[in-house]
Amino acid sequence: MTSIRAVWRDGTEHEMGVPDGASVMETLRDDGADVEGTCGGECACGTCHVYVDAEWLDRLPLQSGEELDMLDAVSGLVEVRPSSRLSCQIRMHPALAGLRLEVAPEA
Amino acid sequence: MSAINLDQRLSSRTLERHPFPIPTGWFFVDYSENLKPGEVRNVELFDQEWVLYRNESGVPGMTDPYCPHLGAHIGHGGTVCGDHLRCPFHHWEYDEQGYCKKIPYAKVMPPIVKKGPILLTLPTLDKYGMIWAWYHPNCVAPTWELPYIPEMEDASGWVGSRRGTWSANTFLQEIAENGVDVAHLKFLHGAPIIPPVDAAYEGHRMKLDIGHGYILGDIHGPGLQVMHFHQNGITATMISYTQPVTAGRSQMNMSFRHPDYSDDAAKFKEAERVVDHMIGAAAGESSAGFEAVDFMVWNHKKYRPKPLLCDGDGPILKFRKWFSQFYVEPQTAAQA
Repeated sequence: MTSIRAVWRDGTEHEMGVPDGASVMETLRDDGADVEGTCGGECACGTCHVYVDAEWLDRLPLQSGEELDMLDAVSGLVEVRPSSRLSCQIRMHPALAGLRLEVAPEA
Repeated sequence: MSAINLDQRLSSRTLERHPFPIPTGWFFVDYSENLKPGEVRNVELFDQEWVLYRNESGVPGMTDPYCPHLGAHIGHGGTVCGDHLRCPFHHWEYDEQGYCKKIPYAKVMPPIVKKGPILLTLPTLDKYGMIWAWYHPNCVAPTWELPYIPEMEDASGWVGSRRGTWSANTFLQEIAENGVDVAHLKFLHGAPIIPPVDAAYEGHRMKLDIGHGYILGDIHGPGLQVMHFHQNGITATMISYTQPVTAGRSQMNMSFRHPDYSDDAAKFKEAERVVDHMIGAAAGESSAGFEAVDFMVWNHKKYRPKPLLCDGDGPILKFRKWFSQFYVEPQTAAQA
């Protein structure tokens, strides 16, 4: 279990524990952050969109083509920034302890 | 007692009746007149169930039944919606290539739907007054086109509306193999002689000449045979389009046509008699039509990959080598 800091849509900041090997989306979905994560990690729904704090950005693996396509698809409905990621594509491991992110608005 | 002879005697225990997958090619689905615009129904073909429909523009389509969304069977409650087929469950719509064209409630279409088809479909078209589908287990696009058949496509000059259909408990290769197995014509069917046969192969096509021009066959892949019968000064044509319903069950279908001999009563009568002979309905004939005797063999035989052939058996192994090009190993999806 590794801890991250997540800013929810109501502006409150929470320390959340993410099981190592699991995706950040699953914790945001299951532990009260009001993230739907509808498609389960297939880059098909865009509901787990987050903004990652700049200092953490280059410590994450690069976006896949599928993730970039989905971010592109939601960009007409919600602000997509250089720091935008789909949290279903962030797999937790201890080196990411303290990762800080903000849940993006609903599309 | 040698080991070779023991193997020979024990070999039938491990033989199968239909050891091959569905061959790839163009296959008859139904007569065009049997599928009206807007109609949706389920058909069994190529060893699975398919949803057959015709959109409101008149274009036929054939898809896998199970919606890529949540797995509903589109053939139970699905409807044609303009040019699309619509799943009853959440009204996702697909075109005949399997692209998802509409999700009525999604704010954002999943990106994968723009990249390619997500529903398994078969290329389909209307030709000869029939619906045809291209089957390839791994969705490879058609590699050849259906031929022009004057008897079926010319507006005039040809007559005959007779058709036949028969179900056989065997696979297509076995049925087609009888075309080069000339010895069986004498012994199973009672023909007066074993006729000579010439077979020539080019790509997906095979040309057959039985009895020096008595029967000339144009065979186009595993699903279409055009056989021209020439006898007593007339010609008649049998267009045969057998369907692989399952790996071991085939539906044989035939249409019979001949030139319009309406100004020559004798020729007309002879052409009709030849058609009768082909479908085994001719009176007072000594040789048997295929339906009487071939089924007895097809429905019960096993397939011998290494048959014991003797001289006079005809070019059976060369035929099998040609036919083997239509067997493609099916891929399985990485994710179920």
